[in-house]
Formats: sequence, structure tokens, C-alpha cells
Amino acid sequence: MMKTKILVIEDNEDNRRIVRDLLTNAGYEVIEAVTGQEGVTAAETQGPELILMDIQLPDFDGYEATRRIKANPTLSAIPIIAVTSYALSGDDVKAFEAGCNAYVTKPFSPRELLAKIREYLQ
Amino acid sequence: MTNAHSPTPARKTRSVSRRFSYAFIGIGTLILIAFAAVGIVFNIILIEGELETRLDKVMQLARTNLPTPLKNLDKDILNGFVEAIFIDASIVYAKISRQDQVITEKKRPGFELHELETSMQPSLFLGAKFIVKSADIQFAEGGVGKIRIVVSGESAKKQVLLQIYGIVALIVLIIAAIWLFEARTGQLGQSVEEQKALVEISRVVSSNLNVEAVLSGIVRHAVQLSKTDAGTIYEFDEAEQVFVPLTNFGVDAAFIQALRESAHGVGDDTVIGRAVIKGAPEQIPDLENVPDYPLPFVKEAGFRAMLAVPLLREDRLFGGLVVRRREAGWFSKPVEKLLQTFATQSVVALHNAQLFREIEEKGRELEIANKHKSQFLANMSHELRTPLNAILGYTELIIDNIYGDVPEKIREVLERLEKNGRHLLGLINDVLDLSKIEAGQLVLSLNEYSMGEVVQTAITAVEALAVEKKLELKTRVPQDLSIARGDEQRIAQVLLNLLGNAIKFTDEGEVRVEVTDSDETFSVSVTDTGPGISETDQKKIFDEFQQADGSSTREKGGSGLGLSIVKKIVEMHGGRIWVESDVGKGSTFRFTLPVRVDRQRDE
Repeated sequence: MMKTKILVIEDNEDNRRIVRDLLTNAGYEVIEAVTGQEGVTAAETQGPELILMDIQLPDFDGYEATRRIKANPTLSAIPIIAVTSYALSGDDVKAFEAGCNAYVTKPFSPRELLAKIREYLQ
Repeated sequence: MTNAHSPTPARKTRSVSRRFSYAFIGIGTLILIAFAAVGIVFNIILIEGELETRLDKVMQLARTNLPTPLKNLDKDILNGFVEAIFIDASIVYAKISRQDQVITEKKRPGFELHELETSMQPSLFLGAKFIVKSADIQFAEGGVGKIRIVVSGESAKKQVLLQIYGIVALIVLIIAAIWLFEARTGQLGQSVEEQKALVEISRVVSSNLNVEAVLSGIVRHAVQLSKTDAGTIYEFDEAEQVFVPLTNFGVDAAFIQALRESAHGVGDDTVIGRAVIKGAPEQIPDLENVPDYPLPFVKEAGFRAMLAVPLLREDRLFGGLVVRRREAGWFSKPVEKLLQTFATQSVVALHNAQLFREIEEKGRELEIANKHKSQFLANMSHELRTPLNAILGYTELIIDNIYGDVPEKIREVLERLEKNGRHLLGLINDVLDLSKIEAGQLVLSLNEYSMGEVVQTAITAVEALAVEKKLELKTRVPQDLSIARGDEQRIAQVLLNLLGNAIKFTDEGEVRVEVTDSDETFSVSVTDTGPGISETDQKKIFDEFQQADGSSTREKGGSGLGLSIVKKIVEMHGGRIWVESDVGKGSTFRFTLPVRVDRQRDE
């Protein structure tokens, strides 16, 4: 049986590893991307079933990456969960406007994140 | 000094009253002189009349006493009579004759006989030097003798002159007294006006930081009280080393422009330049005598005399005060003194204004520094959260056995680690929130929300805590609350904070949330059965870093920032928050919130 692929776009190594350890343990296949451009490319080439999108990325931000992915008709159905920063007010609104399906605020609890992911993969 | 052109009504009034007093003195003097003249004439008549009476008496005496000696030609008696009347010093000549034959004759030495004989004028004061009196003396049937006496007018005249001198002296004295009195009153009036002006100015100087208004008042009073025609207060521009005309009186815009463009400084040979070097008042009594005055337009504008006073304080040059007059002449010492007083006031005004500018500048700098501080705190707390995020994430993964089974002992420690990590995260979030509010970066995200749901979310979040402390958690929220508008997350944060505090500080009893809705306003209260808050503490718990009791900070934890953040969030929504509490009976935190918030309030 094929494992469900989840694309994690995140520039912070520790955050990436926590998500990887969490999701791998939960039985998912994790694809990792560090920059916005890498993320968009991975979404196009790897065909993930869900994307975790960090907002602060080194090249262009998560909103832009989300817009590019959602603009592609073959990818637009993939649910995207934004990981927004608690520090910046109005991020939630911006995330929805960019096309994200849900958001979790950073710092997140792995348990809560896993619950959210499961909700969107049903 | 003329009143030909009077710039203000005040000055006009004064010159009118002055003119009136001149007229008054003039008329008074005339009346006095008239009285004196009448008095003198009256005295002359009196003196002449007295002389006449005296001579008549002598004649009368002669007529009654001389007939017998004349008849008997008793020379001794006749001589004796003449000697007797000569006691009167004014009688200078006497002659007794019988049938044209001179029997006795006496002349006071020093008088010429022909002079005595020819002076026939009737009155001493119509030019006569002497009065001649003669009388016939009948001594027998047909026997006629004659007595003739001449009286010198000198002593009478002297007497009259003395009286005239006396009267004139008296009049002069009276007039002088009136003039002196008037001058003194005028001076008093002047100094009263000066006092009034000074009081007004010092009041304005100390109460008004609008330096322009203060200085224009000073220059106006200076010109009016020194009875000059124009004036200027200069501020010394230290950077450019020139005098900048700050306020002017009695000159037109072109003149001010010319002053500004001339850009004269301390070294220049202007009246103010000289005054500053001298460190004392300086005058130019007549510009006509200063052919190469550096500011030719001053003379062209019709000014002749100038007086300048430097504005100095503790050896620091603030500027100068200059008055100009169209009439040439020196300025008196009192005027110099007056202007020096005005100069002192001007310095105070300029100094105040400079201090005020500095304070304002400092205030702005402080504000900027404060913003920087808040920005720094916002950045720093954001940066602190990233590693903390990793610590909390790994801890949770280990506890959840992601990295293999964890022995119970280690799990227990990890749970403590997680709890402390979450506490630390809460503190960092509080600092972040507050610094963002202070830096003006907290922007409400205004959307529609349901107050019922917000309360439910908050209750769900704290339920576990309440259960753990065996506290009852009650809510009373009407079902039909209107759809509200505001920042749902922030309102939830407020409620969570109040509920968290209530549970934290209450050891038994209950915590109750109530919502009412009236007049487009929600009223939300969180009531506990905790220890209560004293009245003094009620006032400060909404301040930053304050908790009701210092000891509870150590016992119960918390940054002391929560309530100040809560207060700011409520206020940004246009609401209000306060606490009602009795020590020992518990507390109620209550806040109001407009149901529809359309804009954020930033104080």
C-alpha cells in the first residue's frame, strides 16, 4: 500500500525534523523543501496529498508559494495548511486570501498539528 | 515726541489728557497774573492815597499852628516846625513864605532845587519823582503866608516795588509749584503705566510659551512707553552670527525685509552691534550726524534717533532690543532703564522658548527611543520563540514515544520540562504582545464573530485546569446574542486571560462567566470566589508588571503583563475594563465591548 505523501515547506531545520519525525512515525511519507521555489517545484513533481506551508521563507513567502500552487489547476485541489506566526497579526486572513485551506499558529504542538492533518486527509 | 501720529488709541488718550493739563496750567497762570496785577494797582493806589493823607495832615497842621508865628515872624517856631516835619524821611524840601518873602526853607542834602521846583506831575506812578504840596495860611486880615513841601516818591516807590516783587515772587512760586506738581503727577502716571506694562509682560512671559506673542507685546510696550515710533527685537542667530529681526513694531514689511537682508552682526557698526560690544545701552541721538551708518534705509524711513539694549544673560547673547524715534535727540536715563527692564523680560521669554524647544525635541527623541525599544522587544521575543518551539516540539515527541518507549521516571521529568517551556512561551508572548501594542504594531483583525462561541472556546481551553483544582465552571450567556464585529482571537485572549487568572487564584468554589447585551454593548464578567483584591491593589493591577500581591507572583507565577494587555485590547475595541472585589469574598472582572467595532482606537 502506497503511503500518503505530505510536502513540508519549511526553512528551519529543527521544525522540519520535528514534523518529519512526527509524520513518519504516524505512517506518512514526508517530502521536504527549504525554499518557496523548491516547494512549488516539489508540489508539481512529487504530487503530495497535503502541503504544510511555512510563511516565512528565504526567497518568496508562503503566501506567494500558495498562490502559485493554487494557480495550477492540476494542483489546486491539494489542501494546504499554513503555519503562521503568532507574532504577525492578520496572518490568518492573508493565509486564507492566498488560498490556504487551514492554518496552525507557530509554535505548534505536534499533537495538534497531527490532528489537523488527519482532518484534511479524510 | 510729538503726538502728530499716534499709533494706538492708548497713546492718543494720554496725549489728550496731557494737552488738557497744559491748558489748565496756562489758564491758571493767567488768572494768577491778573490777580497779581489787580493787587499791585490796588496797593499803588493805597500807598499813594496814604501819602496824600499824610501830606494833607501836614498841611492841616501847618494851617492850624503856623498863623500866629507867621504874624509875629517867630522864626524859631517856624524853623522848629520845618525840622519836625523833616523827621518824615520822604519829605525832601519845605519852604514857608510870607507875602512872597521866604521866611524859612530846608532842603534835604542830595536833591537839586530846580529839580524839585519843576516836578509837577500829579502822580508818582505816572513818572513823577516828587510830589509837591502847597497851602495858603491866613495869619491876619489879608495876611497870607504859604507853605510848600516836596515829597520824594523814592521810598513810596520802593515800598510799592517791594510789594510788587513780593507778589511776583509769590506767583512764580505758585506757578512753579503747580508745574512741579503736574510734572510729578505726569511722571507718576507714566511710571504707573510702566508698572502695568511690566506686570502684564512678566505675566505673559511666564505663562506663554509662544515667544512671538510675548516679544511682540514687549516691543509694543517698549515703543509706547519710551515714546518712540518704532522698535525691533532681534534674536541672535549663533550659527550664522547675525541678528534676526524677530518682532517689530511701527515699521512696514519692506523695512523688516531690509533689516533681515542686511544680516548685520556683532562686529558691525550698528547701534545694536555697538551696544552688544559695550554690554550696555547705546544711543545714536541723530542719524544725520552719522553719514555712513551701515543700515541706510533706517534714515531713509525717517528715523533720526535710536536706542539699543543688548539681550544678555550670564554672558550669553540672546539678541537685542532697539527703539527708533523720528525726532532727533538723546534718550533720557529713565528710558534707558525702562528698556533694560524690557530687555531682561525679552531674555526670559527667549530663554523659555529655547528650553521649550529643547524639551520638545527631547520628548520626540524619547518617543522614538521608546518605539525602538518596543520594536527591539518585539523582534527579540519573536527570535526567542523559534528555539523554544523546537524544545517544546522535541519534548512532546519524546513524551509521545516517537523516539521509542520512555521510562516513566524520564517521562515525568519531560512533562515538567514541557510545562515550564509552555510557561516560558506564555511570558514571551506577553512581552511580545505588550511591546507590539506600545510600538503601535498591534492591528486588530476586525471580522464578524459570535460572542457565544468565543466564550465556549475559552471555557473549553480552561476546563481541564478547573477540573484539576476541583472548581465549578459556570456560564450564563443569552442564546439570542447579536452577531458581533471585532477581533475574535484577541477577545478570546482577553477572556482566556481573565478565566486563567480566576482559576489560578481561586482554591475552592466556582468561576462564573456572564454575558449581557444592551445598548449595542456587551458586558462580560468573570467572577471567582478567590481571595479578593484590596482597594489599593485594584488601582494598579492593570498596570504593567503589577500583581495584587508581590508574594502571589512567586506562588502563582505570571508575568504581571496579562491584565495590562487585556486592558489595551479592550480599549482598542472601544471598551472598558474594571474590577469589583471584596477581600475574602472574591473578585469580578468586568469589561464592556461595543457589539459592532468598526475601527480600532489608538488612544
